[in-house]
Amino acid sequence: METPLREPTFLILTALAAEPLHGYGLIHEVARLSDDRVSLRPGTLYGALDRLLDAGLVTVEREEVVDSRLRRYYRLTEHGGELLADETERMRRNVEAATARLTARTRPRLPRLSGETA
Amino acid sequence: MSDLESRYLRLVRLFYPAGYRDERGTEIVDTYLALSSPGRQWPSVADVSDLAGGGLRRRLRVVGATGIGPGLRLAAILALTTATGLAGAWITLELNPWTTSWFRSEQDGLSLTPGLGMWSAWLLTAVAYAVAPGRWTRLAIGLALALTIAVVPLAAVVNQFRPPLYMLVAQAGLGVVALAVPRRGPGWLRLAPLGGGAAALPIAATYAYNSRDVDYGYFGWPAGQVLPAAGIALLVVTLLVGVRPAARRDLRGAWALLVLLGPIGMLWLHPLAEELAVSLYGGGPNVDRTTLTTAAAVVSATAVAIVVPVVLLARRRALLHAHASAGGRPARDGLSAGR
Repeated sequence: METPLREPTFLILTALAAEPLHGYGLIHEVARLSDDRVSLRPGTLYGALDRLLDAGLVTVEREEVVDSRLRRYYRLTEHGGELLADETERMRRNVEAATARLTARTRPRLPRLSGETA
Repeated sequence: MSDLESRYLRLVRLFYPAGYRDERGTEIVDTYLALSSPGRQWPSVADVSDLAGGGLRRRLRVVGATGIGPGLRLAAILALTTATGLAGAWITLELNPWTTSWFRSEQDGLSLTPGLGMWSAWLLTAVAYAVAPGRWTRLAIGLALALTIAVVPLAAVVNQFRPPLYMLVAQAGLGVVALAVPRRGPGWLRLAPLGGGAAALPIAATYAYNSRDVDYGYFGWPAGQVLPAAGIALLVVTLLVGVRPAARRDLRGAWALLVLLGPIGMLWLHPLAEELAVSLYGGGPNVDRTTLTTAAAVVSATAVAIVVPVVLLARRRALLHAHASAGGRPARDGLSAGR
């Protein structure tokens, strides 16, 4: 799978890092993780899950029938966990670099002493 | 089964390929039902659009065209930049303040022509993409496309000049591809269509000023040189942009080029129609509706004749790859996998 990951893909993997989830649960968890900024719809979600399944980053944990409806639970694979960790590390380094630059930028500059004092 | 459930199932049957909907259809519908508010009877427009998009992406995956998504988005940005660049040029010709009065109707201040409104709508799409990429941009492009089509009957009703058909067809071709502009992107990329429109203004103004005594308007240079040159520029830029990703086996440039083949051909519509006029009528290169329609049909057929075999080839390769990944041994001639 191509990196850097797109935000919805990153959030799906992050949501699954905690526990296996079914489609409905994933949509809610992604919305929660992103403060409702990323709102996945089922057509988009299952397209993304297909890609993640094909890439071996996610697998089907189990299937349940609740109220005569099928619930398929997905979980992160070992490879998916590694990719998420690498991606998180890459983003963390970027955040640190940006934070350091911004802090230096906003720090008040001391007035330069120049010229004669007398 | 509730009405809502059967409506969602109908949409899944409509948009998704057969094998996939057997495997996933119920799951998708169940998720929609879990998300729907109580008492809801019909899928929303957003749901229909989501299912249509999901089904299209699935079908593209089935034919092995997985790189088409990034390719389509790249093609859309290039098409929008070309469309707004051309709009910037043509709006200058519509406004042309240097027109000599005896070559066209005397201009008394700003003349509100259908063409002026249409090109303004295209320039607004560049502004929309810079400030609100996503739904608002697609809405603006849709509006500009609708105006591009509506300008023909509108100009007839108000009895005013309008941009010629070959220009409208070329613009509409670019606009259709531009509908796939990505929702997100770096700031400099979002400014590309605005830059295209702004860059075209001084060039077109220079042309308009220099031709003030002869006033070719949309004909002459714009028809014979500017549109075909825009086609060549679009082709070259797509190739250049696609080379770097191709080095790491990312074929988005190739897909973008395939998507843009039709619109690039449409930018050559007028010279092609001229050639057809000479061939068909034996006289001068006098373009009429018959030669333009024939040229458009030739361009469309050529684009289809190139794109379809490439997609079929990609499908065959995808099937071979899937066969090999599943542990099967691909046939030496590679034909058995497609059976």
